Amino acid sequence: MPANPQLLTRPSPPGVRNVVREPLIMILVGLIFVILGIFILFPLVKVVQTSLTTPKGYGLANYIHQFKSWYVLRSLYNSLLMGVLSAVGACLIGFTMAYAQTRANFPGKRFFELISIVPIISPPFIGAISLLFLFGNNGLITRHLLGIYNYPIYGLRGLLIAQIMTFFPVAYLSLKGILEAIDPTLEDAALDIGASRWQVFSKVFFPLAIPGIASSLLIIFVESLADFGNPLILAGSEFPTLAVQAYLQITGMYDLKGGAALAVALLIPSLTAFLIQKYYVAKRHYTTVTGKPTQSSVSKVNPLVNWLLFVFCVLVSVAVLLFYGVIIFGAFAKVWGYDNTLSLRNFAYVFDVGLDAVIDTIQVAIAATPISAILGMLIAFLVVRQRFMGRSALEMTALLNFALPGTVVGIGYILAFNTRPFLLTGTMTILVLNFVFRYMPAGIENGVAALQQIDPSIEEAARDLGASSLVTFRKVTLPLVVPAFFSALVFSFVRAMTAISAAVFLVSARWNLITVQILNQVGSGRLGVAAAFSVVLVVVVLLAIFIIKLLLEKVYGLKGIRLVS
Amino acid sequence: MKRVLVLAMTFVLLIGASVSAAKMPVTVYASVDEENARKILSAFTQATGIPVNFVFLSSGPALARLEAEANNPQADLWLGAPSENHILAKERGLTQSYVSPSAKPLDGKFKDAEGYWHAFYMNPLGVGVRTDFLERVGAKLPITWEELFAETFKGEIQMPTPQSSGTAYNLVASFVLKMGEDQAFEYLARLHQNVQTYTQSGTAPSKALAIGQANVAIQFTPAFLQLIDEGYPVKLVFPAEGVGYEAAAVSIVKGARNLEGAQALVDWVLSVQGQNILSSEKTYFFPVHPDAELGAGLPGLSEINLIEYDAAWAGQNKARLVERWVNEVLRK
Repeated sequence: MPANPQLLTRPSPPGVRNVVREPLIMILVGLIFVILGIFILFPLVKVVQTSLTTPKGYGLANYIHQFKSWYVLRSLYNSLLMGVLSAVGACLIGFTMAYAQTRANFPGKRFFELISIVPIISPPFIGAISLLFLFGNNGLITRHLLGIYNYPIYGLRGLLIAQIMTFFPVAYLSLKGILEAIDPTLEDAALDIGASRWQVFSKVFFPLAIPGIASSLLIIFVESLADFGNPLILAGSEFPTLAVQAYLQITGMYDLKGGAALAVALLIPSLTAFLIQKYYVAKRHYTTVTGKPTQSSVSKVNPLVNWLLFVFCVLVSVAVLLFYGVIIFGAFAKVWGYDNTLSLRNFAYVFDVGLDAVIDTIQVAIAATPISAILGMLIAFLVVRQRFMGRSALEMTALLNFALPGTVVGIGYILAFNTRPFLLTGTMTILVLNFVFRYMPAGIENGVAALQQIDPSIEEAARDLGASSLVTFRKVTLPLVVPAFFSALVFSFVRAMTAISAAVFLVSARWNLITVQILNQVGSGRLGVAAAFSVVLVVVVLLAIFIIKLLLEKVYGLKGIRLVS
Repeated sequence: MKRVLVLAMTFVLLIGASVSAAKMPVTVYASVDEENARKILSAFTQATGIPVNFVFLSSGPALARLEAEANNPQADLWLGAPSENHILAKERGLTQSYVSPSAKPLDGKFKDAEGYWHAFYMNPLGVGVRTDFLERVGAKLPITWEELFAETFKGEIQMPTPQSSGTAYNLVASFVLKMGEDQAFEYLARLHQNVQTYTQSGTAPSKALAIGQANVAIQFTPAFLQLIDEGYPVKLVFPAEGVGYEAAAVSIVKGARNLEGAQALVDWVLSVQGQNILSSEKTYFFPVHPDAELGAGLPGLSEINLIEYDAAWAGQNKARLVERWVNEVLRK
């Protein structure tokens, strides 16, 4: 998640150089414009164009046909409803956890931190699978604990639980950063002049946190709206959502135009929310950081609230552990709910039928991750340190793919790259490119944030000594942004390993992905195998993070860098 | 695994057919489920010494790929997927005609008159019911669709959705063919009252039945027969009003590089020898050759009230019928 999207819209600091003086930089800028045009704008244009194509030339017929259907209208309504409710739910839990983490005082905080972060690497569908394992007709809790045989888990209720469990860590991470940045001495001051703790919270603390909360709400709204993993399984035909309908229209009815129209319709609310987040909310962040770290010894919450927060954290932890524990259990159970003896059967299946997909996924992720992170850093460098025409257009385009629903990107890629001159469908390249441009925004944002903390005079000194901009970037700037670079690396890797909504359109017989395998297994009801695939995926991601951390420590001597943020 | 398979088949080839010159492998897009595709194709390699290189693609994606590769075909043969998909492939000019000598004894509904496709197995649609559920609620085994509409089964039935599953569309189209459109949709709407969820894939309901998430499942029969064979408390019913069936077909891709090998595979899979593999390898598929053996545990076709299916008609009416299903059945 972009931790600090607001940092992107600052005016260029003093010391930026005019690009015209350096032809190499100019060529680079031109090249990046071309690349962004081909891999971000061109597919988007293709989707819109396809959705407007009718037998009688261009027109709105596809939209009219789709939106005449009550079912599609209900999908639109459901998507918005699900987006709003899961954003509110996830932010409530994320905020409370983050508040407890930054303001309350009780043991086990490190554990709670871990509990709130680890679910970030969850594969798609995990919420849906857990929910079926726990609350299904043969669920651990419903049938075996409570003796309920027919608990209706399909529909909005089940879906919301799954979405909130999936997205609350996103809210937690961005809110924690924001709550930490609110200077506790402000609250001390309010307490000193006689305010009650509740007044401090409601009159000082909360207003300062509002922009952060609004921004989290909007980001989760966008992500939840575009998500199609959990809705595909839990919502089914009773609670249609737009992202799922667009997918079904294309894969089930072979109707690319209708699917494209649905995808474009999905674009409108998510782009709106993204723009509000970026240009309205993000500008209203209050910065109370004064430079030096401030320590406050006064407890911000009264003892009762403190322990209530503790109980809340414990409950959330139990829920997270249940959700993930049951996946591990399900992966090792012979036939879930029928024969629960432990066995490696599901893993045998994964390594028999699915080994190719596992290897493909790792290859694609390893290829995409460094390109995405380097390109991100480069664009961040250009945006922050150079001045050229179309600078903000470049930035906006580069960030665009993050706001687009995966379905739109995926459909755009097949449409744009299945004919000459860009014949890429069915190759590994198309998957790699998709991940590079989809997750590059995180690199840009990390890079921008890091660069703005580095005094440009350091780079100026290098240039005064005769280094060109590019040499300065390579020898001075890059080493200084190493932590941001590695954090972007981790983010892109995690996302490339767990993404589905765009990738599902791009896999082929030769290049398949674990997440798409999970989709196939869940789709044909082999939940145990799906759980085993999920376990394998999480293990690979954890291993990768571990290796990157080790690399940072051994090669760069950097310790304690927060990589997942 | 594909690599291992190719290796294994090459090995078989080396020891089995070392006499003849090395044969070119046949490249197959298999829309038969992966496990059964492997069984059938291994048996073919064993019998003929021709190696096979196959990838699994379900019918929609397979058709899309054949279309995308039309200018530069990567596959020689498309094996599996219901015949209506092969009719589509024929109409779109993706396949070529080959009148196999083995196809003579086949019933007319199992082959294209011009030889563009041949069915090589069929499956009736069936209803799987958990017997432990019946005991718990004290109900008797439903033997008609009408009985499945009873209150007892509310929230217990899983079936695929015709929006994404050929299986479910087969049910819809068969009902329409059998009883006329209005009556069919009334049936489907009544069934809808008891449906717990509609799955995306045509084989998911039986998996839900196995783990007890659903107590009644509607899909093609092989998975039910397998569950019964493995000892699950499941009974298979063919409702008396009638059920549809799927006939999975095989087509030779236009521009196939190994035409000879592809033709040999078609000849073999339609021969009595090839058809008997369906039962000896426990695929739970029904053979289409009248002289082939029916697998153990498979009910005789005469016991099933099969609805005559018109694949061409079904294909032409798909968009309209699915839309009507969404509007009239889901809306209830």
